[in-house]
Amino acid sequence: MKPDNLLKIRSFLVATDRAYDPETHMWVLDVAPGRVRCGFDPLESETSGDIVAVAFEPLSKEVARGAEFGSLEAAKFVGPLVAPVAGTLVAHNTAVLADPGLLNQDPLSHWLIEIELAAERSSLTGLLEGPEEIRTWFEAEVERFERQGALAQGALAQGAPGQ
Amino acid sequence: MSVLRAIGAEEAEETVSESPQISPDWVRISYASALALRFKSGRYTRPFDFGGINLLLSYDEGCRSDCGYCGLARSRQGAYEDKSFIRVDWPMVSTDELVERMAQHEDRLTRLCISMVTHGYAYRDTLEITRRIRSRLATPLSLLVAPPTLNEERLRALKEAGADMIGIGLDAVTEDLFREIRSDVPKGGLRWDNYWKIVGLARDIYGPWKTNCHTLVGLGETDFDQIEIFERLLGRQIYSYLFCFNPEEDSRMADHPKSSVKRWRRLQLAKFLLEECGFEPSAFDFDDRGELARIHAPAELVDKVVHDGYAFMTNGCPSSGGEPGCTRPMGSWRPTEAPRDYPWQPTTADRAVVREQLALDEILRPGPGPTRPPELWAPPVAGRPAPIAS
Repeated sequence: MKPDNLLKIRSFLVATDRAYDPETHMWVLDVAPGRVRCGFDPLESETSGDIVAVAFEPLSKEVARGAEFGSLEAAKFVGPLVAPVAGTLVAHNTAVLADPGLLNQDPLSHWLIEIELAAERSSLTGLLEGPEEIRTWFEAEVERFERQGALAQGALAQGAPGQ
Repeated sequence: MSVLRAIGAEEAEETVSESPQISPDWVRISYASALALRFKSGRYTRPFDFGGINLLLSYDEGCRSDCGYCGLARSRQGAYEDKSFIRVDWPMVSTDELVERMAQHEDRLTRLCISMVTHGYAYRDTLEITRRIRSRLATPLSLLVAPPTLNEERLRALKEAGADMIGIGLDAVTEDLFREIRSDVPKGGLRWDNYWKIVGLARDIYGPWKTNCHTLVGLGETDFDQIEIFERLLGRQIYSYLFCFNPEEDSRMADHPKSSVKRWRRLQLAKFLLEECGFEPSAFDFDDRGELARIHAPAELVDKVVHDGYAFMTNGCPSSGGEPGCTRPMGSWRPTEAPRDYPWQPTTADRAVVREQLALDEILRPGPGPTRPPELWAPPVAGRPAPIAS
């Protein structure tokens, strides 16, 4: 699934066809009524370094917002995968299990999991949506990661999704 | 994402079309170095200051040696440029761009190191890169050398060009093991006696505590073998830098198990007691298999060593101030594993884990403490309190 409506923020391309969770740096995309797909936003992908493995909790597991649904291993980093919304895990992306580097190459196209929402989509809070809201937040986050030294100098390399 | 994209894809494509990416104009750098110099984006699970930059020579033909455990081994599958080393990618960068970037970040750099590979041009190119670095940077520079490429004259020339420390990757600590893993190999065997010849020359030319030998735990040696090497090197005022064998995928030793953490911790402790606390080999007893069975030492002294945690930090060349300069984060462990050697002073929580891993009750027995004259101890790393019981 190719992302729509791309914003260029610094050298990152960010899709506005979906919502973003500022706490987890995950995107949330509606794929069916009451069902969303989740993946890394471009900053999470970039600042993780070369991703070498992901693992997921089993399907049918219920997760709360902010709860772990798996783990990530990168070249020098390991950490939990944290759910941006509450619900039941209903799908894993087997492509990224087999080739975790896809998450670095194109984080907007390569998703992690699908969740059957525990609550009405319209009742979800804490997600950022719409170009202005996304741009304001994302720009501030790029600056924050730059200050931390987690972003490559010069060109903050980020190929267009799907390249 | 490649470093080439990080420095601009168009620029990189132009450069590629003009010349091959080989040393001395191109080098590979460790992943941690690429993060420190911001060639790559990324982060650590536990953030810490890191300023040890490691460069690796690179040639189309690759390293001409064929060591059983090494990711760069000649007979390991795959194109050389795709081979991992110490299990992670080493991004390729332009040497001039690297020197520029290091100069830009020099206030945070603690130690630089060029790792040679066994190749006909390795000496020539190490000399050239040393000169390029020295023309712009004052950060101390080590060379991890390939003994087959060197002799006395060349070691002197490298010192004259600005290198202040020499490292030799002995890795296998007995002659038999060295022969099995590094000499009698499918392609390009190395010679134990030649390695020791270069160790001796480097010690004589660079001076006391300016040469180091890397020793790997877990290749098949015994604890007795390791402690014997520590003592041999200590007697010549040569540092031992301890590394933990990690199986490299597709290498000939890919299925060889890593040493237990208990064994690893006990060797770290024994090495520290020997080098920095004035113990002698007689303080250690071994069983019939050569495994460390007893450490005879005052319990309060060992307790303090574990409490301080220095014994469990990464061994590496010092900064200009004598503090740890090269800390190789995750050189001996994966991010998913608990640290084997710490690039930071172990925290209270780290030390509690170390203490449990050591299981000292099984091995520690009363003993007399330091017996070696203080002038024969290894100098401690700067920033630490004075050596205990001195």
